[in-house]
Amino acid sequence: MKFIIEHLTKNFEKKEVLKDINFTFEEGKIYGLLGRNGAGKTTLFNCLNKDIKSDGGAFYIEENGVRRDVKAEDIGYVLSTPTVPEFLTGREFLKFFMDINRSSVKDPKPLDYYFDYMSIDPDDRDKLLKDYSHGMKNKMQMLINIIAKPNILLLDEPLTSLDVVVAEEMKQLLRSLKQERITIFSTHIMDLALDLCDEIVLLSHGELESVEKSNLDNQEFKAKIIAALREEDNA
Amino acid sequence: MLKTLRISFALRNTYRVNGILYSLKQIPLLKKILPQTLYRVRGLKIFANVLSVIFEVLSVFLGKLLYFITMVCGIGMLYDKVPSNQIYLHILLFLTFIGAWINTGLFNPTKDKYYAMILMRMSAREYTVVNYVYLILKVIIGFLPFSVLFGLGNGIPLWFCILFPFCAAGIKMAAAAYSLRDYEKRGIVYNENKLNKYLWVMTALILAAAYGLPAIGIVLPAAVSITVFLAFIPAGCAGLRKILKFQNYREINRQLLYQLNNQMDSAKQAVKKTTQEAISADASITSKRRGFEYLNELFIKRHQKILWKAAKKITFVCAAIIFISLLALYLAPQAKDKVNRLILNWLPYFTFIMYAINRGTGFTRALFMNCDHSLLTYSFYKQPGLILKLFRIRLREIIKINIMPAFVIGGGLSLILYASGGTDNPLNYIVLFVSIICMSVFFSIHYLTVYYLLQPYNAASEMKSGTYQIIMSVTYFICYIMMQVKIPLLIFGICCIAFCVIYSIAACILIYRLAPKTFRLRT
Repeated sequence: MKFIIEHLTKNFEKKEVLKDINFTFEEGKIYGLLGRNGAGKTTLFNCLNKDIKSDGGAFYIEENGVRRDVKAEDIGYVLSTPTVPEFLTGREFLKFFMDINRSSVKDPKPLDYYFDYMSIDPDDRDKLLKDYSHGMKNKMQMLINIIAKPNILLLDEPLTSLDVVVAEEMKQLLRSLKQERITIFSTHIMDLALDLCDEIVLLSHGELESVEKSNLDNQEFKAKIIAALREEDNA
Repeated sequence: MLKTLRISFALRNTYRVNGILYSLKQIPLLKKILPQTLYRVRGLKIFANVLSVIFEVLSVFLGKLLYFITMVCGIGMLYDKVPSNQIYLHILLFLTFIGAWINTGLFNPTKDKYYAMILMRMSAREYTVVNYVYLILKVIIGFLPFSVLFGLGNGIPLWFCILFPFCAAGIKMAAAAYSLRDYEKRGIVYNENKLNKYLWVMTALILAAAYGLPAIGIVLPAAVSITVFLAFIPAGCAGLRKILKFQNYREINRQLLYQLNNQMDSAKQAVKKTTQEAISADASITSKRRGFEYLNELFIKRHQKILWKAAKKITFVCAAIIFISLLALYLAPQAKDKVNRLILNWLPYFTFIMYAINRGTGFTRALFMNCDHSLLTYSFYKQPGLILKLFRIRLREIIKINIMPAFVIGGGLSLILYASGGTDNPLNYIVLFVSIICMSVFFSIHYLTVYYLLQPYNAASEMKSGTYQIIMSVTYFICYIMMQVKIPLLIFGICCIAFCVIYSIAACILIYRLAPKTFRLRT
């Protein structure tokens, strides 16, 4: 499976945020999306998730050489600030999700299996989500986004505000999930990107470009990325 | 000093001009025309500057004019048994006294002060003193014309009319100086927007003295009022000395504005918090349904407080009012004729009542804040078929909630109509009942439709749609106008039913066509 973006553009009034996005993402990899503040990372994600309409271009999925449109259920989108329906308990939210997606969740498991999988404490499973801590909300959001096994997983700064233990758990989780799907992960933290991601993609000048690591060591690779992002100032 | 005044003017003006431009950008249609760069477009800036200057001038005079027209002379005219010069001075004296601590200017935490003294680090003492003197000048100049105009009209000698503004400024300065001294002694900063309970009681007592005493025939003699007023002037001079000499303006403003900054942050959180508090923590609430019905049932049950319980309370109150009306008709049969005519002509009035009691606003707000704002970030929730399915369920729920009081009101009105002598045309009963039910259904559909078509909030729960706010205001305005309209029951009722049916059909068509696209988080 490939996820292909062609000539995607998005303007806000006269400001071209996404100028000409062309990229082919491949199955089984985690892509680290780096860009300066305001470069348009969230805009790109919102366009891919069809939260905002792009002005031009297209994106689709290619399976065994056949192209098809991206459907809502192809995409899982985890936001930087976790959002969960406050009036439900963790268990109710999960049950509701399973009810709705009975047809698309292959091989459903008992609810507690998923909670165990995410290391959510048994005491917390029947608490209202409004009383969940930040980290637990984040786990819930992640869980909902991965159960249906979406083909594309978009993660917008997901680990930045988590404590070290939860962040480590999430990293392990993402690594274990990367087979059979495309994971695109936006972050400001270079070390995290280098640690977790198989490929680094830069968003600058409204375009996406891959940074080749070739035979550089981490320090040299970092320097190369920073230099590439700096160029924006001189452009 | 002059430089400080100029800078603070410029600062306040920039702040106001940008405020004007920002609100222009919120108006639908206009916002499409205005460029993103409007904050640097010269023409627009000049336009906003003109508005800003007009605003400044108006702020000097308009408030004072309204104050004299309503609070002093308007209410004063109600007491026709006492001489007009006495009542004029009596009310003015007590109100001026209250104004001394309700409206100090010095202890009013405002954003422009925050920007100037905290962010821009201007000298607090210079900034405060210069702006305070400017404020006092505004008081004097603003009061002067109206003091002369209304004073002469009420038989006050011209010399006192001219002195009055100085008396008003005097007591203000005396009160401000008192608060400064109080700070030096006790370290407590007075905040005119947060009165303590003693000051509230005192304010209420003095208000009672201003308006209550004349009602029982007690009015201060003119000579006494004038003497007290004149005493304010030396008190003010002493106060001004203190204000000019006071050194700790930075500390005072830090404390005042620290609170302000907290308010700015918490105001945003407050709405969210109250909506979340509406969620019931009752652990026994469960549901045996599945899918969206499951979601909906839990939502309704956990929001009892703002939905069913509120509707039940309203129903109960309506039933009580109807019962009392029926009892009154029984006890005082002479009123029957009048009541009968009222009901046959005042149906439009009930548009406003139905508007006021419908739970649409609370329902849609809770839907968004506690449910949709999070679920809309999940793609499974945004599948077109599911959006419509949930819309149908929600529409059914809100109609059920709103229709309970409507049944009681519609039935009750028909009963009252019958008890007050009935009508020749039995169709009246049916139309009366059905049109009330239709109004209730209309408001249910209206709120939910507008919510689904415009979805006005963004992910941070901020209201982002000017159109939504305009539609809500127009709804209110039309319902309000309806209160003034008197149309025979049959005509209005039938038109109302027809309108509600057509609107409902149109709304549903629009929802089916558009909602899958429009029901999104704003970005």
